[in-house]
Order: sequence, then C-alpha cells, then structure tokens
Amino acid sequence: MAVVVAEDLTMRYRVPVRDGGLAAALASVVRRRYRDVDAVRRVSFEIAPGEIVGFIGPNGAGKTTTLKMLAGLLHPTSGQLRVLGFTPGQRKAPFLKRIALIRGSQSVGGSQELTVLDALDYQRLLYDVTPGDYRQALAELTGLLDLGPLLQRQLRALSLGERMRTGLALALLYRPRVLFLDEPTLGLDVTATAVIRRFLAGHAARTGATILLTSHYMADVESLCRRLILIDHGRVRYDGPLRELAARLTPYKLVRVSAAGATRPDFAAAGEIVEHADGRWVLRVPRERVARVTAALLTSLDVADLAVEEPPLENVIDHAYRDGLA
Amino acid sequence: MRRILRLTALRVRRQFLDWSGAWWFTITLVANESLGPLAGLFVWSAVFPGDPRVVSYFAALIAVQIMTASYENHTFSETVYQGTVSHELLQPQPVVIGPMGENLAIRLWMTLFGLPPAVLAGFLLGATYRRADLLLALPALAGAAVLRFLYTWILALTAFWTERVHAVVTFGGMLVALLGGAVAPVSLLPGPWRAVAQVLPFHAMLGLPADIATGAVTGPAAVAALGRGLAWIVAFTVLAAVVWRAGARRYTVVGA
Repeated sequence: MAVVVAEDLTMRYRVPVRDGGLAAALASVVRRRYRDVDAVRRVSFEIAPGEIVGFIGPNGAGKTTTLKMLAGLLHPTSGQLRVLGFTPGQRKAPFLKRIALIRGSQSVGGSQELTVLDALDYQRLLYDVTPGDYRQALAELTGLLDLGPLLQRQLRALSLGERMRTGLALALLYRPRVLFLDEPTLGLDVTATAVIRRFLAGHAARTGATILLTSHYMADVESLCRRLILIDHGRVRYDGPLRELAARLTPYKLVRVSAAGATRPDFAAAGEIVEHADGRWVLRVPRERVARVTAALLTSLDVADLAVEEPPLENVIDHAYRDGLA
Repeated sequence: MRRILRLTALRVRRQFLDWSGAWWFTITLVANESLGPLAGLFVWSAVFPGDPRVVSYFAALIAVQIMTASYENHTFSETVYQGTVSHELLQPQPVVIGPMGENLAIRLWMTLFGLPPAVLAGFLLGATYRRADLLLALPALAGAAVLRFLYTWILALTAFWTERVHAVVTFGGMLVALLGGAVAPVSLLPGPWRAVAQVLPFHAMLGLPADIATGAVTGPAAVAALGRGLAWIVAFTVLAAVVWRAGARRYTVVGA
C-alpha cells in the first residue's frame, strides 16, 4: 500500500495585479484585480513505503508547493491527497508525529537562543519520545551527524552546515516515517553536502523511511534516488527510474578513451568528438553502437584506458527543462 | 488538557530561558508600559492634589499594565510575515501555545523587573490599599491577563490579511488606554462614557483590577464587573478560534 497518494493535485493562487502608475494605484483602491496562478496542475503520483524519490524541476515548477501540500502546510485547491492514510491539511497530531518537512532554507525553526541540546530536549517532550528512545536516538544522531561539539551551542550561532545537521537531528529524533526534504544541501560546502548525503542514504537504509527529495543539485538526486519525478510548470513530465530518463532523453553515451598517438581521423567513424586534451578523448556514441565502437577502438588503437559513461545528469535534466520530454 | 498544560508550561520555560538574554530589552518594555499610567498619575495628581486615591490607582495600574502586557503583533505576526510560522504549523500541538508561552514568559520577566520598582514608587508616594481589596483584585488581574492576551492575539491574527498589523494593534492599544482607565480612571469619566466603558471589555483588561484594589469598585459592583470580564473572555475565546481558523486557512491557501 502506498504511503503517499496524490491524485489530480492542483494548487491555484489568486494574486492581486495592477498596472503601474498613480491612476492605476488609485483605481485599485476601489476595484482590485486578480489573476489566477496555477502553481500545481493535476499532479498525480504514488510513493511506496521505503522509497526514496527525487522530485525535481526548474525554479517555480511547483516542487515546494507540492511538498508543502504533502506536509499539510497548504490546502490543495482540488484533488485528493493522502499521506500515511491521513489528509495532511487537517494537521492531526498523529500525522504530524509521523512526518517531517526539512527545508534547507529554514532548517531550524523556533527560539534561536536555545542550545542544540535544549532544542532536542524540547523536541523529545513535544513528540512524546520516551526517555529510552531519546537517549538511543540522541547517541545515534550525535555520532552520525557529528553533533557532539554543537550540543552546548546556541542555535543562532550555528553555521549553515551545522544548522542543517541540527535540523536533521531535530526532525529525526522522533523517527518520522515520511521525510519531505526541500533542498537539504542548499548553500552547503562540499564536505557538509557529502555528510548530509551519506547520512540520508544511511538513515533510509537503517529505518526504511520514505523520502521525497527536492534538490537543484543533481548529485543529491543521483546518489540517493532511484526514482525521479520531474515536474515543470506545475505538471508531472516524467515519473520513473532515473536511468530510464537518461536513456530516453539522451540516446547516446559518453566513451572516454586515453590512447597515445591517436589522431582525430582514428575516431571519425566512432562518434562525435566532444572533448580532446592530452591524449584523452571523449566521444558521444549512440547507445546501440557503444559495444561495437568500444571493441573497434580497443583493437585499432593503443588504448591505455577506456570508460563508458552515462551523460551527466545535469545535461539530461537541462535537456528536459529546455526541450521537454516529447 | 493535561498535555496542553504540560506543553504550555514547557513553552513558558523555553521562552523564559530564551528571554533571559534580553534583560535590558525587557527593562525598556517595562519603562514603555509604565509611561502611560505615569502620565495619568501626573495629570490627575494635578487635578486632585493630595488625593491618595489617585496615587493608589495609578500605582496599581502600572502593576497591572506590566503584568498583562501583550506583544503578539511582534512575537507572532512577524512569524507570519517571515513564513516561520510554518515550523509551528508542523508541530503536533495547537499553534497558540507558542505565543501564549512567550506571552507568559515575557510577563514573568517584566514582573520581575517592573513590579518591585512599581511597589516601591507606590509606597514612597503614599499609595495605600486594604488587604481584602487586594485579594479581590487578584481574580480581576487574572481575568485582565487572559483578556488582554486574547484581545492582542485576535488583533495580531490580522497579519494573515494585512501587512499593517502594528497599526491595527496600536489602534487597539489606544482603545484600551482611552476606555480602559489609563487616560482617565473609568470612575471619573462623564456619566454616559462611564456606562459605555464599564460594558466594553477594555476596563476589564486594565483598569478594573486597579479599581478593585483601591476600593473604587466593591461588593456587588465588583462581582458584576468580574462577571462581565468573564463573559468577554468567553466571547474573545470563541472569536479567537474563528479568526485563527480563517487566518490559518488563508495562510495555507495563499502560500506558506
């Protein structure tokens, strides 16, 4: 049975508009004009227990709006929504105790004067975590997220990466079954990003939590998600395995060859040369020809190294954003 | 209910700790809340020179003002504007517990800093009270504290509709000062105005505890006034629930 069920989910905002200038400003006092903005249009998908799903799309695609509807922060204009059997918009306590929405832009809310330990303790009482479970979770999270040096520090004094680690600890202390992660690595440096990615992957494996992740960093999606939902202009454009999307959008692979003494004509029949430097060549080869081309290169050239790669996910997604999926 | 009380106590503790780092700011709040009653004291002492009831009334009024101060337009409305109220909406507890806890924590700090100087000033200026009146004033003070919070909370909830919540709350505060007994004791208002002020909720928010403490309102009149305050608490509670529901709905419809 699916943990998250969205059916024809639609979110329409009504925003005030007016022309520029004094006359329009005065006219708007007596007669306001509005325009409807469709943030999400008839979005449908299901997520099974334990799945980690990447939810991606360009800015303004409707990702965060959808996540907020799933967490109960927004009421959909129309459509059906069930998370763990609850209607999120009702924001019932048993539902809120089983989910977490973590936003990279606002990872730690509430009073900023408290220490991390005070905030965790408050979270324990708020979510009715038993003392035994609390001690176990605290020890586990402290180790995995390296929270030891932070526990006595005030929330307001934490760096961006530290805030994210703390935000994760606060959210995971009560072991939510469904996690909605909105840009969890936003603005983090390489090391902090790696820590968060490793932690999330480990957490999902250990607990079987269901995760829906939005991120503009394709490395996040690639390292954590097997399934991808691509949304654009409020509509789902793709829902399926990550690899299939790459195959569907880019009917080629990249072949990297290191071959001393090779020249441009040696690759003429192999495929399109996209890079060449210091004896290393990168060829774009149609998928169905990859096996034949690599065999031919290995026999005809003095190959020191050869690798076949999928095109970078960034390129695939960029292709999807710009040209669509048709 | 026990859980709500426990969570409220927890929130008060948390906010009390939070505000411990802002003691200097709390002192400015105390000074700010005392200014209105002090101005009233100076003016009415000039009108009735040597009348000890004036000093007693305004000294008590300073205490009431400090112990019932409410700043939900700052503590809550700003979270609506900044979108951080979303954190509260995601927590498994009624959102009002947050502002309520912070309100109580601020009042505790303000009472700690403001009540001793107010008592000392009253003593030095010759304020006198009867013990029985002071005891009777306690339920009026509790009612004023609840009513003032509900009133400010309802006004602060207009943040869901307007970005000018501070203007709304300031206007509300002016009404309390004007008709609640800060600008002039309600007992000194002209007949029709006095009748209106006694029926409206503002007197129960501010002047009533001081009036009872000084013996200006006693016996059946005091009981009736307490009853009116209680009725306003019930009405404001219902109104707060309705406005909250509409506001939260609006927030979650137009975008959190």
